[in-house]
Amino acid sequence: MISLAIRYLFSRKRQSLFTLLGIFLGAAGFVIISGFFAGFRTFMIDQLVNNSAHIFIEARQEFLTTHSLDDAFFAKRISHAFWKSVPAGKKDYNRIENPEGWYKRLEADPRVDAYSPQLVVAALFSKGGTSVSATLTGCTPEQQARVNTIAANMTEGAFSEIGNGGNRIILGQELLRRLGAKLLQNILVSTGAGAPTPFQIVGVYDSGSKGGNQQAYASLADVQRANQTLNLVNQIDVRLADYEQSASVATTWSGISLEAIESWDQRNANIFTIFSLQAMMRNIIVSVVMLVAGFGIYNVLMMTVTQKMKDIAILQAMGYESWEVRSLFLFQGLVLGAIGAALGLIVGYFVCQYLETLPFGGRAGTTVPLGHLAIDLSFAIYSQAALLSILSALVASYLPARAAAHFTPIEIIRGGTE
Amino acid sequence: MALSAQQVSKRIGNPATQILTSISLEIPDGQFVALTGRSGSGKSTLLYMLSGLDSVSDGAVLADGKDLSQMKRVEKAHFRNEQIGFVFQFHYLIAELTVLENVLLPAKKYGKAAERTEFAKSILEKVGLAEKHQRLPRQLSGGEEQRVAIARALIMEPKYLFADEPTGSLDSVNGEVVMKMLELANVEKKMTIIMVTHEMDFAKRAQRQIQLADGKIMHDSS
Ligand SMILES: Nc1ncnc2c1ncn2[C@@H]1O[C@H](COP(=O)(O)OP(=O)(O)OP(=O)(O)O)[C@@H](O)[C@H]1O
Ligand SMILES: [Mg+2]
Repeated sequence: MISLAIRYLFSRKRQSLFTLLGIFLGAAGFVIISGFFAGFRTFMIDQLVNNSAHIFIEARQEFLTTHSLDDAFFAKRISHAFWKSVPAGKKDYNRIENPEGWYKRLEADPRVDAYSPQLVVAALFSKGGTSVSATLTGCTPEQQARVNTIAANMTEGAFSEIGNGGNRIILGQELLRRLGAKLLQNILVSTGAGAPTPFQIVGVYDSGSKGGNQQAYASLADVQRANQTLNLVNQIDVRLADYEQSASVATTWSGISLEAIESWDQRNANIFTIFSLQAMMRNIIVSVVMLVAGFGIYNVLMMTVTQKMKDIAILQAMGYESWEVRSLFLFQGLVLGAIGAALGLIVGYFVCQYLETLPFGGRAGTTVPLGHLAIDLSFAIYSQAALLSILSALVASYLPARAAAHFTPIEIIRGGTE
Repeated sequence: MALSAQQVSKRIGNPATQILTSISLEIPDGQFVALTGRSGSGKSTLLYMLSGLDSVSDGAVLADGKDLSQMKRVEKAHFRNEQIGFVFQFHYLIAELTVLENVLLPAKKYGKAAERTEFAKSILEKVGLAEKHQRLPRQLSGGEEQRVAIARALIMEPKYLFADEPTGSLDSVNGEVVMKMLELANVEKKMTIIMVTHEMDFAKRAQRQIQLADGKIMHDSS
């Protein structure tokens, strides 16, 4: 049966080659697109993981509800208060209630590599007549340098120059540009509390993204003073030894504290939406190709079945059973699928190898490496592609195979040319 | 031991047309039977039913007392492969296989192709096709193709050989060669041969002549 199946395939070379091409394109496409997207995904995650802290502990923003002031005003004297004008607004200044408790916990946790307490405030930066609002982060430079790549992203000056006081500030490239300021010049920073504070620009950084470059860093003590909130900390950035644990650690901590805790992947959920969109796109493209390829196989085999009806009758008259007749056609599909998949994988692999040599990314002076397109060449992708091609070839040849074994030899001979 | 038909009827189609009506006959092992009758009288139909390739509407066909319609799947496959040989009116060779491969196709079913190769070549030699066993069917004449078809029916040395007008499409020389092959199988291998034919000369050379008309046995020489 197997040798006869192969003879059949060889006797119509052009059709066989054509159907082979379909499976080939499907398999190669799957390997290349998957490799490209998976490589992109790994690259993006690397970037995210390298550039940012893994877990962010933030003071929870608490809002007043209708009855949150009842106790304070009336203690237990009345059971229900009706407000003419219902209490609304934020409760206090949002702060991490017990930062020392967090520091102890983080230092004792073996999974934690480093942490950095911060005061993050919205601020107005002014230089001459120009004002730009941006986020100002107060931090201790030695600690901050260990949780993200800010220190490595400096294009001018050193991150440590903000020190532990002295009103020195580091600006992102974009913020610097929009202020029209230069290194070592002074700017005014206003956080909404008290008079604007003068800061001297001692450094510039480039994080690789425009948004990331519209921020500023100064020492924790300076920002606390400028904001008139001494000792206040409203965020702690944490870096773990193993970034893959981020989400689970963040969830555990959330359960045992008042603070809002997010991991890098929870915070960047939108990027994961992009990844799943990419996967969907790949699946649609590959399904369409496989569907077309499968339909090709189906057509060609259906035609072969009709042409070879007499052969089927003879085989059955000789004692060959239905399953053998079915396998004669299933095997043709399988051979087409297997060869198409093998060629597709090989060619796909070489195309991926070529794509990897193409330059990609890379911006001088940043942590975005001057590198090449990242293409995933993992075994999983290749075995999935092989499985998919062979499976679709088998599914496509199932109906013709069943049709072939459907008739008895006599039905074929009676309905035939006699 | 014998092949026997007991009150066999065949209806085909809807509304049903009666093709064979209550046919009973007994063919002892080793007999050479010629089936004759007008076109449409039911010869092919009877042949298919005696060989078990087609099912009966009523009655039964028994081979050595065994009802063919009661055979299970595997048993039926063995019966078709080892006990019967069938020569169709049109030669029906597989175009993609060589002469030798076509002849050996029944032997392949149960993995006996290798041990039957020498035998296959000897049959082909007897019918004058020794040099042509690597050819494809389309490189043969009609008479040669029919000889290959008979060689294929003989390869498993079946007990029964059914032939539906094996000489029908051949000239007299080729017809004679084919007839000789059947006679030889009948004499040498003691094969039971049931042959449908229109040619009276060939029919007379059989041991027994059965004539059909309108799906019934009109004359039986035994
Ligand atoms: N599929 C069918 N449906 C209905 N009637 C059929 C069918 N096949 C055959 N017949 C009828 O059955 C009858 C017997 O057919 P069969 O082929 O057995 O005749 P035959 O004696 O072999 O004829 P010939 O010498 O032409 O081969 C014919 O009248 C034919 O028209
Ligand atoms: Mg006939």
